[in-house]
Amino acid sequence: MGYKIIDDRDLAFLKQVLEDERVYTGEAISEDYSHDELGGISRMPEVMVEVLSTEEVSKVMKYAHENNIPVVIRGSGTGLVGASVPIHGGIMMNMTKMTRIKELDENNLTLTVDPGVMLMDIAKYVEERDFFYPPDPGEKTATIAGNINTNAGGMRAVKYGVTRDYVRGLELVMPNGDIMKVGGKVVKNSSGYSIKDMVCGSEGTLAVITEATLKLLPLPKKVISLLIPFPNLDMAISTVPKIIKSKAAPTAIEFMQREVILAAEQFLDKKFPDNSSDAYLLLSFDGNSTEEIERSYDMVAKLCLEEGALDVFISDTDERKQSIWSARGAFLEAVKASTTEMDECDVCVPRDKVADFIKYTHELETEFDVRIRSFGHAGDGNLHVYVLRDDMNDEQWKKKLTDVFECMYSRARKLEGVVSGEHGIGFAKRPYLFEQYDESYISLLKNIKLAFDPRNILNPGKVCQ
Amino acid sequence: MNILVCIKQVPGSTKVEVDEKTGVLKRDGVDSKMNPYDLYALETALRIKEKSGGAITAMTMGPRQAEDVIKEAFMMGVDEGALISDRKFAGSDVLATSYTLSQSARKLGNFDIILCGKQTTDGDTAQVGPEMAEYLNIPHIANVTKIFEIAEDSITVEMDMPNTIEKVRVKYPCLLTLEKDIFQPRLPSYRRKIATKDKAIRTITFADFEDQDAKKYGLDGSPTQVERIFPPAVNGKREMFRGESNDVAMNVSSKLVELKLV
Amino acid sequence: MGTLKVNDHLVTPENMAELIKICPFNALEDNNGKLEVNAACKLCRICVNKGPKGVMEFLEDEKRQVVDKSLWKGIAVYVDHVEGDIHPVTMELLGKAKELAAKVGFPVYALFLGHGIMDKASELLHYGADRVYAYDHEELKDFRIEPYAAAFEDFINNVKPSSILVGATTIGRSLAPRIAARFRTGLTADCTVLDIKENTDLVQIRPAFGGNIMAQIKTPNTRPQLATVRYKVMNALERSVEAHGDVIACSIDESKLASRIEVLEVRQKDKETSISDAETIIAVGRGIKSEKDMEMVRELAGLLDAQIAGTRPLVESGWLDSKRQVGLSGRTVKPKLIITLGISGSVQFAAGMNGSEHIFAVNSDEKASIFNIAHYGIVGDLYEVLPQLIERIKLEKGA
Repeated sequence: MGYKIIDDRDLAFLKQVLEDERVYTGEAISEDYSHDELGGISRMPEVMVEVLSTEEVSKVMKYAHENNIPVVIRGSGTGLVGASVPIHGGIMMNMTKMTRIKELDENNLTLTVDPGVMLMDIAKYVEERDFFYPPDPGEKTATIAGNINTNAGGMRAVKYGVTRDYVRGLELVMPNGDIMKVGGKVVKNSSGYSIKDMVCGSEGTLAVITEATLKLLPLPKKVISLLIPFPNLDMAISTVPKIIKSKAAPTAIEFMQREVILAAEQFLDKKFPDNSSDAYLLLSFDGNSTEEIERSYDMVAKLCLEEGALDVFISDTDERKQSIWSARGAFLEAVKASTTEMDECDVCVPRDKVADFIKYTHELETEFDVRIRSFGHAGDGNLHVYVLRDDMNDEQWKKKLTDVFECMYSRARKLEGVVSGEHGIGFAKRPYLFEQYDESYISLLKNIKLAFDPRNILNPGKVCQ
Repeated sequence: MNILVCIKQVPGSTKVEVDEKTGVLKRDGVDSKMNPYDLYALETALRIKEKSGGAITAMTMGPRQAEDVIKEAFMMGVDEGALISDRKFAGSDVLATSYTLSQSARKLGNFDIILCGKQTTDGDTAQVGPEMAEYLNIPHIANVTKIFEIAEDSITVEMDMPNTIEKVRVKYPCLLTLEKDIFQPRLPSYRRKIATKDKAIRTITFADFEDQDAKKYGLDGSPTQVERIFPPAVNGKREMFRGESNDVAMNVSSKLVELKLV
Repeated sequence: MGTLKVNDHLVTPENMAELIKICPFNALEDNNGKLEVNAACKLCRICVNKGPKGVMEFLEDEKRQVVDKSLWKGIAVYVDHVEGDIHPVTMELLGKAKELAAKVGFPVYALFLGHGIMDKASELLHYGADRVYAYDHEELKDFRIEPYAAAFEDFINNVKPSSILVGATTIGRSLAPRIAARFRTGLTADCTVLDIKENTDLVQIRPAFGGNIMAQIKTPNTRPQLATVRYKVMNALERSVEAHGDVIACSIDESKLASRIEVLEVRQKDKETSISDAETIIAVGRGIKSEKDMEMVRELAGLLDAQIAGTRPLVESGWLDSKRQVGLSGRTVKPKLIITLGISGSVQFAAGMNGSEHIFAVNSDEKASIFNIAHYGIVGDLYEVLPQLIERIKLEKGA
């Protein structure tokens, strides 16, 4: 695609803008920057720079634009689809040093932050001040801008929606270096196309986010979780649409299976409070008092018992929550530790189709003789399904993975689902995006990309390309 | 098997602060919960019962709202519950508390095994179990990490010592304090919550006690006095070692020795 | 018995609300317009001292009986041991006892209960004990609560020590409360500071609420006064070349040594293999360049009796078992000592270990974020510092 290779003149420019010590080349670049958390795709950037201000970002982008150098923006590198891998080399712009929490506006209930602030720091900062930022993706060390770029929603999406719903305004640096503010602190906005919403979930292909203004809520004072054992997964998942229909508004509805719990127990060397049943639903409720929450979960508890739940266990203290959520938090690592390699499918299907889909993955397990593990957000239809390599050789693995993924994605389409619920398309899932949408849709995406980035220098080769 | 479990309601968080001016604990708005260590005692009781049958009574001492922990014990599967509550017990230190609990245990019946958490998260003293055992004149084993065998007349357990593990058999009646993580405590059950919603909790007051000597309870029965409470000194200092690796190694190892880490 | 009295005629709706708010234990309540004290009262008297004047009153019925303190002399240390192996906390307590005793002109006693211990008892005379009271009975061979408590009781009745210091080991934490209860006296657990007043009252400072507050406690009316102290809190005296003082052989009527406990087995603890409960951890990160360098790490870990743990990249590289991964997605550890080697200190890692008591970090990059959480930062090349450190620690241990 004929991009310019970085030369000494380019480096001299970068060093002049960013001081020597924030420009890394060759061996000085940690191998980490060549990949994200997805295995299998990696490439080193030619130069990695740490930026500290919007102006610096703007200068670098302007220069790259003028000189036809590809730029990849990177946060914590916790992505799972290769979106931040510099597949064309060029400049990698590391945003993790921009970590200020700039303003908590109590009048407008907004928080304005730098792009590199981590999700866990935002949560801590606002909760200490009795506010609440609901999006809660599992990866707490992700940066806010990275999170906005994937629009990962996390498990509280059931009640509160996803990240996009909590982004009020953004400051952007366009691929040509122009600085632009979109959205703002306003609650309503019908002023033309919503660029802000387009940039959310754009995976670093449209613009560089240099500041975000987030919407906050008052902090619910109490959270209670219910761990609900069922005789089998079918019964557990079939109950979910009924819970949603009951209008009880849990913040999260997760499902988990015994084998994943056992893997986590082994991984953490800690017992889960209950592992005697085949399948579980894990529900969370928030509110301002125990009584208030009890009223709302009471109905759900009764409903689950009617639907065949063996019991409903109540988790209301830090220790109890810890015993459940530390295991829940380790599921991914535990499954990973139980095999040699794995790949993940993050489809999202309508909530009443979750059971169909999970049942289908079980059929695939038998059909392809491969281990498939899944857990996740039953309440929002976003599934995390892992295909495990175990002792397959390279060739077998590639073949089997392709076949199994093909089956899963085509079933998801049939169920009117989408390719990704929160991990994005990045590099790895493009084929499935192309399969899902017809030409006119893809060409619309391509034209949008072109409108933002006519020279195609910002994270080229991703999402719709 | 007749089992008694002693439980306590403690503040929901140990992140308490001392009011600089008054030198008094600030407990505003702090929820309360069951002492986390007591969950291990309850779980152990339930497992013993599952193996050997019998009945479990949970008792707690405190104001009326301490009933909540008894209700919670019901939700975990305990059969009976008692609240020990009387203004006469106001100002009790550990010793007076232990004596009060021992009198209640006598009142509640003849127990084969009495179980306690190894300590509480507020007082942290780990004394109540052994002191109760003394007043009940029964043997006790502290820091039990494992239950081996539950026999007709005795229980065999392992206790955790600094460098050794001791396996001991103790005859009933006896008192055990349980180490954390002996078993993973079960969660309260909603089914049981519904079933025990109206279950009566017995109240025990001073008047129920065999020993009516008021001097042994409350403030008068407490040999220790808290003179003051204060926040711990915070050590925000950071020490850096640089230079010749030889010197650095020497300084670091001296520091390790000074801190008694070597 | 001291009680709180509500002077009803002074209660107004306003000061009632104020009083209810002022009580830190929610022990005051509005019972249909009447202010009442409930069972949550700790008699802390905040309401008397800080509340609206005169509404709450503390009534002391009669003067408490105070023991004649002049009859109780000396500071005793319980000798903690298993099968005659004396736990080093004992020497530390003797050091503290010596210091306290000097302030009030007391002798220092050691109480040694066991079997076949007479030759070991004299060793304590090198560490500050003026007299070692040794009870050597077959029944005292293994720690069993009833005979140990009986011999302890016998010692107190005969010697009448003013204070008794006990190591906060499993045995000490089991035995001391039993004795305190038997003598209806005060025991202060896990003291971190001990001092003594002229009137021989101990000044005892201890943490509560998981260390979030400190409390100063006294035992003013009863004797003996007991305190437990954890290992590695006080300082032992240097072993004196010559022994001072005497070993006094004591005995007790064997009928008092009966027990309902049978010790079936005493075995050495399995080497701790889980990092979750480890007291000492050496954590390694990407600063370790090759797998063979782990040998050096293992050597340090061996010297410090430490468990080896590490960051996610090291686990992914296969040099460490996944059960040894520290961090948000691995395990949380809280050792007394953690030494991190070549770890930059990502949030992912830090979140799993920043509760450790002493954090030593070795990293060549001065700006590494690990230094923001380390208590002791060592800026240097791990490959230079580590071999030197290993040599130094060998020397220290040899000394």
